[in-house]
Amino acid sequence: MASSSDATPSAGSTPEPSGTPESVSGPDGPDRPEGPARRGRVRARRAAVMAVPATLVAAGLMILTAQGALGVQFAISGMPFTVTATNLDGQGFEQFGALDRMAEGSPNEGDTGGQVLVVVSAIRNATLTKLCQSVDLGGTNLLITAGQGEQKVTATNLTTDSTELSGDAAFDNIEIGNDASTLDKAGVQGPKGVFSQQADTVRIAHLRQTNYATTAAVFKLPGLKLRFSDQGC
Amino acid sequence: MSAFRNWRAARPFWGGLLLALGGAEILFTEQASLKVVMHIGMQGLAGYLLPAVMLICGLLVLFNPAQRLFYSVCGVLASLGTWLTSNLGGFLVGLLLGVVGSCLAFGWLPDQEPRRGLLGRRRARAPVRTP
Repeated sequence: MASSSDATPSAGSTPEPSGTPESVSGPDGPDRPEGPARRGRVRARRAAVMAVPATLVAAGLMILTAQGALGVQFAISGMPFTVTATNLDGQGFEQFGALDRMAEGSPNEGDTGGQVLVVVSAIRNATLTKLCQSVDLGGTNLLITAGQGEQKVTATNLTTDSTELSGDAAFDNIEIGNDASTLDKAGVQGPKGVFSQQADTVRIAHLRQTNYATTAAVFKLPGLKLRFSDQGC
Repeated sequence: MSAFRNWRAARPFWGGLLLALGGAEILFTEQASLKVVMHIGMQGLAGYLLPAVMLICGLLVLFNPAQRLFYSVCGVLASLGTWLTSNLGGFLVGLLLGVVGSCLAFGWLPDQEPRRGLLGRRRARAPVRTP
């Protein structure tokens, strides 16, 4: 393999009589028969030197993620998406209203003026069973499921901006009616003069959310499956 | 048009282009507002940083092909890192584009040597394969 000084192209690392271009392009370049100047090419074995370890590392990352050994960070928004879970357990819970702005001139604006009223829920440590997340891409859904088996999905500093949230909830030590700027249970503060509530722990069964943004969150996703599907969650 | 062909022939065009596209794709998949990124801190920033590095490496491969080995190594590392930081590498698409692009850039050589050795080997093997 020619792994030596190739940083200077056409410097003539192998001084060769000038008659070679035409004679070489015949046998070795059947895919590009024309072309007056000789072209650089990708050497398969050279590329493999990087491709093989890169593939191994990528496969390793995916396996570790699927087994839940590695956290993955999500930060998506812009389109509404649905999150469901059969059970959510959280320590440190906050909730307050807020106004999300879309990007200027966003096609999703409609007649809203680009603003969406959302409920921000923040949970410091969350454990979810049978997590399912789907985004409607128009015709098909991008579906992510995790935590179907024994191991559960865990997330830290989970913040969701939802327009709808349903489920059977139970709270410990709940404080309702705080000013959103004084919250301290999950480390996120809202704007001044906005209604809010917070609790030490939260348990929600049959959780279903329509979200505009999920942020933060180092997610650990055991049993991760990512696929396209006709049906959402 | 032929000027563009010549320009393309003198650099790992597809490698750099795929790497840059991969970075751009990942940047498009994450649209968290800057305010939210500030809340998260370093981890949120990394989600933007790594695809930006991919994008820059891809462009540098195109415009400074002499240093393509260094850029492609940086690019492949950043691409792999986005799996952890940026929506599973832009839902896998950007990660694949980045890794493939980096490998193409890494394996690219300017067409300068006649490669007698390889030709000889190919010729020696050819009669065995053809029947």
